[in-house]
Amino acid sequence: MGDVFPQLAAISPDDAHGARYLLLAVMGVVAVGFAVAPLLLSALVAPRKPSEIKQSPFECGLESKGDAWVQFRVQYYLYALAFVIFDVEVVFIYPWAAAFTNLSTGALVAMGVFVLLLAEGLAYLWIKGVLSWK
Amino acid sequence: MTLNHYLVLSAILLGIGLLGVLTRRNIIVVLFSIEILFNAANLNFIAFWRFGPNPEALMGPMFALFAIAVAAAEVAVGLALVIAVYRHFKTVDLEKLDTLREP
Amino acid sequence: MNVMLYSMEIAMVLSGLGILMLDLGTPARGKRDLGYLAAFLMSLLLLQSVFMPEVQDGFSLLSSGHSITEGPGYKLDAFARYFKHLFLLAAILVLLMAVDFAGTLRARLAEFFALVLFALTGMSAAASATNFITLFVSIELITVSFYVLTSFQRGQMRSLEAGVKYLILGAAASAVLVYGIALVYGATGSMEFAALGKACPSAEHDHLLRLGLLLVIAGLGFKIAAFPFQIWVPDVYQGAPAPVTAFLAVGSKAAGFALLMRLCHHLRPDLRELTLTVLAALAGATILYGSLCALRQRNLKRLFGYAGIASAGYLLLGLLALNAQPGASPSGAQGCHAMMFYLAGYLIAVMAAFTVLCHLDGEDEDLSVLAGLHARSPLLATVLTLSVVSMAGLPPLMGFLGKFLLLQSAFEVLSPHPAQLWLMVVALGGVVISLYYYFGILRAIYWGGGISPGRPAGESEAITVPPLARLLLIACGLILLWVGIFPQALLEWLGDAVALFR
Repeated sequence: MGDVFPQLAAISPDDAHGARYLLLAVMGVVAVGFAVAPLLLSALVAPRKPSEIKQSPFECGLESKGDAWVQFRVQYYLYALAFVIFDVEVVFIYPWAAAFTNLSTGALVAMGVFVLLLAEGLAYLWIKGVLSWK
Repeated sequence: MTLNHYLVLSAILLGIGLLGVLTRRNIIVVLFSIEILFNAANLNFIAFWRFGPNPEALMGPMFALFAIAVAAAEVAVGLALVIAVYRHFKTVDLEKLDTLREP
Repeated sequence: MNVMLYSMEIAMVLSGLGILMLDLGTPARGKRDLGYLAAFLMSLLLLQSVFMPEVQDGFSLLSSGHSITEGPGYKLDAFARYFKHLFLLAAILVLLMAVDFAGTLRARLAEFFALVLFALTGMSAAASATNFITLFVSIELITVSFYVLTSFQRGQMRSLEAGVKYLILGAAASAVLVYGIALVYGATGSMEFAALGKACPSAEHDHLLRLGLLLVIAGLGFKIAAFPFQIWVPDVYQGAPAPVTAFLAVGSKAAGFALLMRLCHHLRPDLRELTLTVLAALAGATILYGSLCALRQRNLKRLFGYAGIASAGYLLLGLLALNAQPGASPSGAQGCHAMMFYLAGYLIAVMAAFTVLCHLDGEDEDLSVLAGLHARSPLLATVLTLSVVSMAGLPPLMGFLGKFLLLQSAFEVLSPHPAQLWLMVVALGGVVISLYYYFGILRAIYWGGGISPGRPAGESEAITVPPLARLLLIACGLILLWVGIFPQALLEWLGDAVALFR
């Protein structure tokens, strides 16, 4: 298991972090500035003539109507939930894959069982008709 | 960056999360807060592992992985419940769920 | 790693997955049979574990030449086996209860059975946990299954509401538990319970450990419904379907106590002083709160909820005894003995009571639905009486000895500290109060006409109980009586299981 995060193990906690993070800090400042500058500029320069149309939310030029809390089809949420579950299982598969070459057959079997369990869940969803868009 | 920095950050996250769980009424925001709580703990695990006596053991990151997976399962169930609640109650406000109470 | 060590959990998971897969090919009217199948499979597992425990050992003997009872974070000792048997028994009764309850659970019945089996897997793993990773994963497997089970009647507002409340409070409690585990890990540098017995490198680490331990106790306190963490209990018990409430009351609570017992067993002496104080405060407050709130309760499920809080308080007394300094006059084994005996009696009584509840008509579960029960179904009335009297702790039923042993073990531990004798006063007061509210149930059964203006006693038609449920109810009643009068066999059997704590 010691080789799962080799690059992390190479850094010792008492490294000089200042230089390492300076670049990141500069990047952050530039990114924030890039977003804030146009807003500031328009707030300073642009003339203020509010009207009802200008105040309404922009939806690709269409007039917006109704409540934002509209109900989507249930299928949409089911997809999203299924995605959340299967997506997070990657946290187990990724370290396993990173350390793959040093692992025993037992680990391969264990991961096989794990993936089979996931596949069983997927098959269940499929046969129950959750994945078909009616 | 010392261990204490991480511990303070994690304690702040814990405070934010607890405050959110206790004071907010929107179920979805409460679910966010619970995620923050879990992440506060995860941050602790990683920090203690990194600055701990034996970083080779990898116990900290391992637990964090389990915590992430479990938190995802809880949120998935939570969101499914939110959908079901919204279809029946037409609200996601916790205060309006009050059919069960002391008579 | 020896796979056979985990064979019970593997069998449970495979049964659950099998039920789900079978569901796909089963027509709607055949779904109830899947419940019988699940109960049958779990009965086989229970019989195997009780009468042929060497099966698990035998395979490890073949593969490695010597018997293995320990894996990473997992131990299959007599203590774990006893709890596994309790959980299996509870799950079987819940599955059979749910089959009769099927009418109100409607569709997706197979998922219900599978979720019961998954929760059972979590409980079973919790009984064996010896490190925090197993503790966390098993506790979460239990609670996540219960979130879904609680809100299973999606058409009913109260079931959904109970689910949401349980989810939010439960997830927050889990997060606190994880945070506590993180602090303990930081202080000891290890995930093993055994590391709690070693000295910390510095005073700072020690503070961290104490704080972490308190958070872990708080997180587990939620699962066992101890006082400041009990707010979810009445609402969730009322809103959840009756079989789920029964499983929650028995399984989830027993799993929490099994974990606490293992955890406390490893504590070093100076930490025991801390937990002794905390647990004493928790126990007193829990007994008092549960008993007082149950007094004015008229909804049966809420009443059992509050009564369940009070019994968690009595169980904490046993945990207190377990926390006594090793070598003090009564060994921790006595507290452990008492807790395990009490839990067995509590399991049978709760399961019997909720099976009776399932067969009563009326949506609101007000005490008045019991009116005239002795005329409508003498069997239900008798079994409910036995179960309630056992929970109240009156001789000669099983609950009496359990409560007596708990009080006795705590009394012997506390007797050197006269200042803490107030706890015994509270506990005895709780017993007296419980007589009153349990008597309220009996009054509703036999003299119910007076308190239910809407429905005169004896007017409703007789209740018919299906043969299998009839058999189970009779069995539960007989066990309560038999073990109450001849407890020796069970107590001796428990002797092995508590050897760990001697």
